[in-house]
Parts: sequence; structure tokens; C-alpha cells
Amino acid sequence: MEESEAQISHLALDIGGSLIKLVYFSRNSDNSSSKNSVPVSNGNEGRPVLEGKLHFAKFETAKIHDCIDFIQSKQLCLTGCQHHGSSADEKCIIKATGGGAYKFTDLFKEKLGICLGKEDEMDCLVAGANFLLKSVHDEAFTYMDGQKEFAQIDHDDLYPYLLVNIGSGVSMIKVDGPGKFERVSGTNVGGGTFWGLGRLLTKCKSFDELLELSQQGNNRVIDMLVGDIYGGTDYKKIGLTSTTIASSFGKAISDNKELEDYKPEDISRSLLRMISNNIGQISYLNALRFGLKRIFFAGFFIRGHAYTMDTIAVAVHFWSKGEAKAMFLRHEGFLGALGAFMSYEKHGFDNLMVHQLLQQSPTDPSDGGDKTHGPANSELNDNPSINCSVYLS
Amino acid sequence: MAGLTEDPILGTNDTIKEKKKQEEFDKNKSLSLDKVEGSGQTEKDMAPVTGSSIHRSGSRPQLDLSKAAIQGTFEERDPTILLPNQSDHLSHLALDIGGSLIKLVYFSRHEDQSVDDKRKKTLKDRLGITNGTRRSYPVLGGRLHFVKFETIKINECLDFIYSKQLHRGGMDARIWNPDAPTNENAVIKATGGGAYKFADLFKERLGVGLDKEDEMNCLVAGANFLLKAIRHEAFTHMEGQKEFVQIDHNDLYPYLLVNVGSGVSMIKVDGDGKFQRVSGTNVGGGTYWGLGRLLTKCKSFDELLELSQRGDNRTIDMLVGDIYGGMDYSKIGLSASTIASSFGKTISENKELGDYRPEDISLSLLRMISYNIGQISYLNALRFGLKRIFFGGFFIRGHAYTMDTISFAVQFWSKGEAQAMFLRHEGFLGALGAFMSYEKHGLDDLMVHHLVERFPMGAPYTGGKIHGPPLGDLNEKISWMEKFVRKGTEITAPVPMDPPGTTGLGGFEVPSSKGGTLRSDASALNIGVLHLVPTLEVFPLLVDPKTYEPNTIDLSDHSELEYWFTVLSGHLPDLVDKAVASEGGTDDAKRRGDAFARAFSAHLSRLMEEPAAYGKLGLANLLELREECLREFQFVDAYRSIKQRENEASLAVLPDLLIELDSLSEETRMLSLIEGVLAANIFDWGSHACVDLYHKGTIIEIYRMSRDKMQRPWRVDDFDVFQKRMFGSGDKKPRPHKRALLFVDNSGADVVLGMLPLARELLRRGTEVVLVANSLPALNDVTAMELPEIVAEAAKHCDILRRAAEAGGLLVDAMVSNLDGSKGKSSSVPLMVVENGCGSPCIDLRQVSSELAAAAKEADLIILEGMGRALHTNFNARFKCDALKLAMVKNQRLAEKLIKGNIYDCVCRYEPAS
Repeated sequence: MEESEAQISHLALDIGGSLIKLVYFSRNSDNSSSKNSVPVSNGNEGRPVLEGKLHFAKFETAKIHDCIDFIQSKQLCLTGCQHHGSSADEKCIIKATGGGAYKFTDLFKEKLGICLGKEDEMDCLVAGANFLLKSVHDEAFTYMDGQKEFAQIDHDDLYPYLLVNIGSGVSMIKVDGPGKFERVSGTNVGGGTFWGLGRLLTKCKSFDELLELSQQGNNRVIDMLVGDIYGGTDYKKIGLTSTTIASSFGKAISDNKELEDYKPEDISRSLLRMISNNIGQISYLNALRFGLKRIFFAGFFIRGHAYTMDTIAVAVHFWSKGEAKAMFLRHEGFLGALGAFMSYEKHGFDNLMVHQLLQQSPTDPSDGGDKTHGPANSELNDNPSINCSVYLS
Repeated sequence: MAGLTEDPILGTNDTIKEKKKQEEFDKNKSLSLDKVEGSGQTEKDMAPVTGSSIHRSGSRPQLDLSKAAIQGTFEERDPTILLPNQSDHLSHLALDIGGSLIKLVYFSRHEDQSVDDKRKKTLKDRLGITNGTRRSYPVLGGRLHFVKFETIKINECLDFIYSKQLHRGGMDARIWNPDAPTNENAVIKATGGGAYKFADLFKERLGVGLDKEDEMNCLVAGANFLLKAIRHEAFTHMEGQKEFVQIDHNDLYPYLLVNVGSGVSMIKVDGDGKFQRVSGTNVGGGTYWGLGRLLTKCKSFDELLELSQRGDNRTIDMLVGDIYGGMDYSKIGLSASTIASSFGKTISENKELGDYRPEDISLSLLRMISYNIGQISYLNALRFGLKRIFFGGFFIRGHAYTMDTISFAVQFWSKGEAQAMFLRHEGFLGALGAFMSYEKHGLDDLMVHHLVERFPMGAPYTGGKIHGPPLGDLNEKISWMEKFVRKGTEITAPVPMDPPGTTGLGGFEVPSSKGGTLRSDASALNIGVLHLVPTLEVFPLLVDPKTYEPNTIDLSDHSELEYWFTVLSGHLPDLVDKAVASEGGTDDAKRRGDAFARAFSAHLSRLMEEPAAYGKLGLANLLELREECLREFQFVDAYRSIKQRENEASLAVLPDLLIELDSLSEETRMLSLIEGVLAANIFDWGSHACVDLYHKGTIIEIYRMSRDKMQRPWRVDDFDVFQKRMFGSGDKKPRPHKRALLFVDNSGADVVLGMLPLARELLRRGTEVVLVANSLPALNDVTAMELPEIVAEAAKHCDILRRAAEAGGLLVDAMVSNLDGSKGKSSSVPLMVVENGCGSPCIDLRQVSSELAAAAKEADLIILEGMGRALHTNFNARFKCDALKLAMVKNQRLAEKLIKGNIYDCVCRYEPAS
């Protein structure tokens, strides 16, 4: 028993079109020898419990080998699938979701000798979101005019909600309860579009560089505003102010300027506004359609970027005439990976349960932006890890 | 611009011509009167002359003759509308100044066409037509021209307006009176943001103020007008297939109007002037063009669009299959080729912008934006429970792939429950709406049956262009034709059609029409010239005008179109010969004949390539197109001399035929008469088989031969039922019909030896007879202008006809006495002639002359005769009164298809009133 406890270090993967997200568990080293009987109030007394941390990491899908190296270096592949009664020769199974779980099956087999246990992407997203919203304090927040405000969500009144996962593309999922959900819509204009178009237009080397650029940009140089068409005046009758964007990139038409004549900052800003606004609008329309009062936005496109969140929030606010609010999740990028991680329980591989969080992450939420660093260092050190306890039954 | 600077000069010519024309017109008018009063004119004088009383045609030949400077311009590809009640002092221009394009609608005037001769007046008295039931204002012709400019080239637009003096009421109204004081307070209606932005510029450059009209108001007014007044305005576009949608005007509202300009507005329309902008998106046409320009260095929107036709977005977009290793994500209904992320592939590869093909980029961009617009539109339609979504605006500009993508998006997200519809005049909603905001122009009253759409010479070539130089006259038109065809053969040669779905990528993800039309004008707006003819009405005896479809043969079946393409092409050289001969065989006539042949061939090629190019295409439309094309090159009556010759020959033998018929008993005679109609219908210059026959004998020989071959039962033979209606069974004699409308077909034996004797028999039975004939010549069909002369000649040998013709005011002497006050003295029921309002071998009963509509009110029997009117069209038409459809089938394919018979089989279809 002591032996197996020491080795628990489960890994789950979400291999998307642009990014690979990893979630793994590590025991608190200081707890490793302590007793496993932390008292909790939910009726699980008597069951063994492990205290440790859930770690979150991400890699660019294009650099999947970095990811494989990482897994190898941490020896996650050796322990991730361990369960009672299995022989050492048995194939390791790592839970994985996202399209890449299919695409890279052979690669993982070859390089790490592990099988990817494919979990449905939507199942995972929803499971991850439900887990976070119910179990993690201060997970959800609104963002308006630069002000982040944590939302208190009544766990008994969580459902139904709209989950908008913005990865390379965007999925919109109506969630009615644990495991009860429907993908109601989506859009192909997502994070991949931002990064893909942005790369073509600005020669940025990374998504984060592009995002950073947008902070210093001015979209008025590129976008055609209502004021540009109406000679500086509003079109009040239909509620459009002169600064409303009438046509994204609409000004790139009429000038005799070439691509090089525009500042990459401005381009990035226009692009970000275009895509965020569009996602916000389509999300709101879908929420409206199903009478959902809450919209949670997640996925790696957002990555805590203030301006992105602001634009999405403004779009939802604008189109709903203030009646709906966009909410964001601190662990936005890891819903799928987390959901895959949760699925170990579902399949009973290990009788392992990530049951309750004893402690909130000590990381200050305000610096929760997960910058990507140099290509070699893909691990996200500053993504809040979650302290938690794991029960063994 | 060169063309534009020449405009004032062209205008000068134009007006000089105008004056000449007016003189000519007056002369013609007096000629017409001479003819009526003198009655001794030769038939040559009866050839329809410009400005004659033919209402529907009034706008057409007249345009060709008097307004060539405008008629021939490229911008005529855009719709032109005649206005009924345009008064002089109105401004003649309305603008929609958008972020990327300026749309201009301007008005050019026609003279009053309402020339009533005495015969017509008498007829009107007979038919009891009073002005009370008609429009009380004079019919002022006029047309709306639609032109566009890029907003960044606003100076070109200003020059254009100035050169045409549009801001001062147009050249035709004011420029020739330069002393007239310029109205200091002149205003032009304008909409779009630029109406605000450029107000000062217009004031400064043109001295006119812009009267700002609300943009949404204008869009909605324009859309409502188009959807109500223009048949086949709306269509669906799926997988490259265009299908026109008949919209019940009483069930139009509510709908969602999506106007895709630089940005996108979504408007819920609940009625006239009742609407709300419910949504929109900033990802629109400006985004496509702006991003496209940055990414591809294209010089124009159209160039960018054209590039997309050769693109493959799979190199740029991340597809579901790319993420799932080629597999579908079928659980949520996403196939491998669904785009997961637009431009998502340009992330992960080590390629730079320069490494991607501009074609692929353009296509990805187009799909991203179209798809997004479709999705947001559907969500908004859903939200308000709107079943119809109409897409308009310049982003779409008839581009097949754009429309397909939007349609797929709407279909995909609605799971097939909603359909995207498009408008042919999509780009001009706002400008048209601004024009409508002028008061008192009468546009609001327009009904669908008042509009006749024409596709002028340039139609197969132009479209989508900003604008071209105006052509000065017929001569320039012919030169252009010669030049263009030489230069453009490779463009306009028929391109074999790809069957839909051959691009190899199924699903909504890759609509298959892409690449279907690799033409320079693939983005053409498929709209013609709209002529308003306020005198046209719906034929009142149709059982259900809403479901009435004139065409029996639907040319959307491509093999059918191919067949008729071959037939018409084959017939072309002979037709050109006839046409040239009819104009005296001069060099000028030959040159015009060549130009006609080229123009018509170009139309055919265009239609082969894109059958829906001119709206819903039926055989009747195709046949009429040919006649219109002839008229465009000023062949007023290609078969004039043939018709004369055959009329004379037939009239010569008519007395003998009448004697022969009179020797028969009444009931036998009816059969002989119907046989005679069918036999005489063999004389048809529209049928190749028959034309061959004519070289083998005289008219009377052929007629007799044809009659001898009449073997009952005919292929369709309801004669016995008809006979029973006429004579009853047993002792009970049914009441004779009160009034019969006889729709006649060809000149010569057909009308003289077939229909006239039948008319005579009906008259003898106490039934009033109205001969309904074409307003304008078509092939060798007899026209309403020619009929009185024929009847008068026949009446010389027949008392019945003479008295009836006198009573009907067809004989001038009698008419004079009638006018003297001896009305009602006549002992006979009248024989009358009315024009049908059209110039085609077929007839669309949704648009007939008001005279015919009035005559129909008391009619209880309709006899449709000939292939064009009884088979090609109206074979399936149902009438409120008894109807007899008579024709000899002179086309093997039609015989097989329609009656499962053979060439020369006969149809005698009788349908009692329903």
C-alpha cells in the first residue's frame, strides 16, 4: 500500500490542434510519509487519502516531441496508469482527449510505449468545467472594463449553462448536469484563426507574442468604424456609436497602403477584436436560444488576456443589452485535460478519486496569465496548480 | 473615364436624335391615322412603327431607336425600370454611398406612349373600358439605371453625375434649356454613411444638397419593392444550383433581411416601413476585401473573388480531419472536412505568407466570412421565428461560391429547416429605397405584372463591372458586338457544365459550385432591363394566377436546354436571311444581321453555361429572347414579306373554302372547321420540319394535303365533348357562348383558312368573337396591327364577317358611321381584334394587355391555337371558362414528350370551365 501510494502521479492529456495540455498529479513530498487520514466532512472518513497537487502544463502541438520528452523526463508515462492488480508488463494507458489523441496514438506508442485511452472531447470539457465550477473556489470571474470580479456560483444552481471552449476552433456546449450536455453550436473562427491570420499578417513567432502586440495596438487604423462611414457621427437610431466597428479590416480597403505599412500591433488588435467580438456574439445568440443565463468562456485562446476577455464581455453585454454576462475560468485552457484526468475514476482504473480540494492554490489570481515561454521551456509554471487530496477506496 | 468625358457629346447627339425622332414619331402618328381613315394603304404601311399604339412594345423599339446612347451602355446590365408618373421637376438621382461602393440610381425619361387611334378608342367603347378602371395618369415611360463606383473614386462618380447633368434633373429634362435657373435648393436623395460624410463635397462640386435618408429605411423599402414587384427576384443557391422562389406577396412578412456591405446589418422586416435592426456583424465584405488585400495584394474586390474560385482552402484551414488524423468527429456531426479553425493551419507550419497561394487564402477568407454571416443570420432568424432569410448587399454580388457557403451554413445550423435566399438586385437595395423616398413617382403602386424584364445585347458579357463607357448608337453597338465577340470568343464559348458534386469533397464544408464558372464575369449580377408597362394585367380568366406557370417545358432540365439550343442555333442562319431580306438586303441590314446572330448566339452560350443567368428560364423566355434580340438590332419584322405573300394567297382561296363549308350541315361543319384549324396550323415558320415542306408545294396544296391526313381520333381528341357543349345531346340545345377569345397564331393559311372560318361559325351562332393577336411581330405570327386588314379583305366576300367586323369597328367605313351615332344598329354580334400585349411566339398570361384583360371579362370560351400558345405555354393552364386548345405538333421531341405521339400529330384538348 505504501509502495503504490508513493508512485501515484496520474497523467492525462488533451491534444488539440494547436496545443497539448497536460494534467498530472504529484504527491506532496512532505506528506508522503505522513498519515493519510486528513479529516473531511463529506463522509469519506476511513478511506485512504493522498495529498498533493494537480499540475498543469502545455506544449504546442507542432512541438509534440518536447511534450514527449517532458513526459519521459518526469517519468509520467511509467506511473500514470498504474493500478492494482496489473502486472508490470501490461500496457500503460494514459487518458487523452482532443483530436490528437487519435492522430498521435502511434507516436505515443512508439516513443513512450503507452496507449492513449481516448476520451470524448466534449465529455472531458464538460467534466472538467463541472469539476472546476463546483470544487474550486473563485474559479469563475467576470471581466468588464479591466475589472476582474470573482463570481459566487451557487453549486445547486449551476445548471444549465453554456460552455464556450475556444481552442483552435470554438465549441459551444449546453450543459444541463454532470455528464448531461449537448454541443449546440460552434464556430470555425477561433484561436487558430487569430494565430494563423496573425502569423501571416505580422510574422510573430508565437501566439503569446501576437497577443502581447495587440496590447499596444490601435484598431482604428485598420477597422472601419461607424464614425468613418458617417463622417464622425453616430448612427444613433440603431444604437451604433461612432466608435462601433462597422467592418473589421474595412479600412485596409481604401488606403493605398500595403501590409508592411500597417503596424503589427494594430493588426493584432483588430484581429483580436474581430474574433473575440464574433465569439461573444455567437455565444450570446446561442445562450439566448436555449434560455441560458450563464456563459462560461474557456479554452486557450483566452489565456487570461485582459483585452480578449474585455472584448468578449463587451460583445455579450452589447448584444444582450446588458442582460447576459460573460464569465471566464481561471483554468480555462485545461478543461479537456482535467476532464480526461477525471475519467480515470469513471473507468475505475484505479479507484482513484480527485474528490475534494482542501486548499486553494496559493498562486495569486491576478498574475494568472499563462505566458508561453521559449520553445524549450513549455511548462507553465505560473498556471495555478491545485492542491488537492485524492482518496483511495 | 474616357467614355464618361464623351458623354455630353453623346448627349448632344442623343437629343438631336431625340428631336428627329420626335418628328418621325409625329409623322408616324399621322401615318397611323392616315391608315385608319384611308384604309387603302398598302400593307407596308402597316408594319408596326415606332411610337405606335402598341403599349408593351412602346417601351422597347422606342428605346432602341431613340435612346441608343443609353440603351447600349454597359450599365444596362443592371435593372432599368420604367416609371409611370415621373414628373419633370423631380430630381432624377438617388445615391447610396457606402463604405466601399457608391450605388447610384438615376432616371431617364421616355415620351408619353399613349397614342390612341380611333380604332382603339372604338374598341374601348365596345369593351366598356372606362378610364375609371384604368390608371388615370398618362403612361410616362422612364427607366431607372443602376451604376456603381468605388467610394475611393468618388470623383469619378461626381464627374459622371455632372456629365449626365443628373443633379439638375438629367439631360433629357433640363440641359437643353441652359437658361433655366439652377435651383439653389436642389437636393438629391442619398443614403449610406457617405451621405453625411460627403455632403459638403456634393454641395461644393455640384451645388446640390444631399437629402439624407435613413439607411435601414432605404434597404427595407428597396427590398420590399423588389420582392413584391419583381417576379423571380428571390432565389436559393445550393451546390451551384440556382432555384427561383415564388413568393406569395400576401405572405411575405415577416422576414430577415441581411445586408452584407462593408459590415453586415440584420433587419427584421414586418411590413412596409415596419422593421427593426436586430443584429449585425462587423465581419463583412469590408473584412473580406481588407484582409484579402493585405494577404494577397489583389487590386480589386472582384479580382480577389475570382482568385477564390481556383483556391483550395484545405491548405490553410484546419479541418476536423487534420485534428482527428483524417477521421470524422461523427458523434457531434462533424465530418473530417469540416473546418475546425479557419486559417488554423497557418499556425503550425514553417511557412510564411509568401509560401501560400493567394487563391487558397482568398477561398479560406471567403468561406470564413460567408459561413460566419450565414450562422449569425440563422441564429437571429431562429430567435425571432422568421422563416425566410434574404441576403443582399455587394459582398454577395451573385458569386456562386459565396452564396453556396452562406446557404450551407444556414442549412447546416438549421438542420435543413431554414433556407437562405438571395436577391438578384442585391446591391441596389439602399439606392433603390432612396429613390423610392421621392414622393409621387408611382413606384409603390407597381405590381409584378407591370414589369417586363429584358436582357439587352450586353447581357451575356457584362455584369459585376463598376461601369463601362456608354455606347452612342446602333452603329457603335454593332461595332462593339463585332469587336467584343472577336476578342471574347474564348470567354463566351460554351463551357461544358460540370455536373454538381465533382469537386470530390462532400458535405457542407465544400460547396460544389466552386469553379463551376471560370469566367471573367463570374460575379455578374444576373439582372436585365426592367421595363414598366402599366397597361399590362393578369389575364382574369386564369383559375389560379398564383400557381400558374406558363412554360410547359422546363429548361432547367439540361438535356432539354441542349435540344432547344441546337434547334435555335440551327434555325439561326435562315432567320438571319429572312431578317436581312426584310430590310431590303442592304449592306447595313447584313451587318445588323451578323450582329444579331452574334448577340443571340452569345445569349444562347451564356444560357447553356448558366441556365439561370436571366432568371427562371422556360422555352417561352428563350423564344422571346430571340425576338427581342431581333428588335434590338432593329429588325422590326423579319417575316414581313412572307406574311404578306401568304396572307394574299390564302385570302384568294378563302371564298371557295367558305362555300365548301357552308354546304355542310352544322354539326359536320364544326368538325371540318376544327380539322381546318389543325390542318392550317402546319404553316409555321418556327418549325424546321414545316419550312422544308413549303418548298415542295403551294400553300393551298399543302393545306389540302394536311387536311386529307386528318385522321381521327387525334392524339389528344376531346372533340366529341366540345361538340356536345356546342350542340348538346338530343333536343336540348345549349346556350351559345356569349363571347369567345380566339388566340391566333400564324399569318397566312393558319389564320385565314383555319381560324377565320371558325370565328365566322361562332359569330353565326351568335357568339361575339375577339381575335387575340400579338402586339409585336414574332416569326410569322399574325399581329393585331395586321388583322383588321386581313379581316377587311375577307369580309369583302362574306356577309357574316362583314357585318360582324362592322359591328366590331374593324371596318373603317362602318366605324365612321358608328361614330356618327348609329351605334347598336348593327344586326350582328361583333368581331373584334385585341392585342395580347406581347411579342413572342408564346404567351405568358400573367402579363397581357389591358384590352385583352377587359375583353376577357365577358368571355366564356377561350380558344388557344398553335404550338407556342397552346403547347409550349398554357398546355396545363386552367381557366375559369371553357377552353379549347388546338395545335398540330410540328416537333418530334415535343410530340414524344408531351403527348407520347409523333410529329404532325394533333391536339384538340377541351376543358370545360373549372
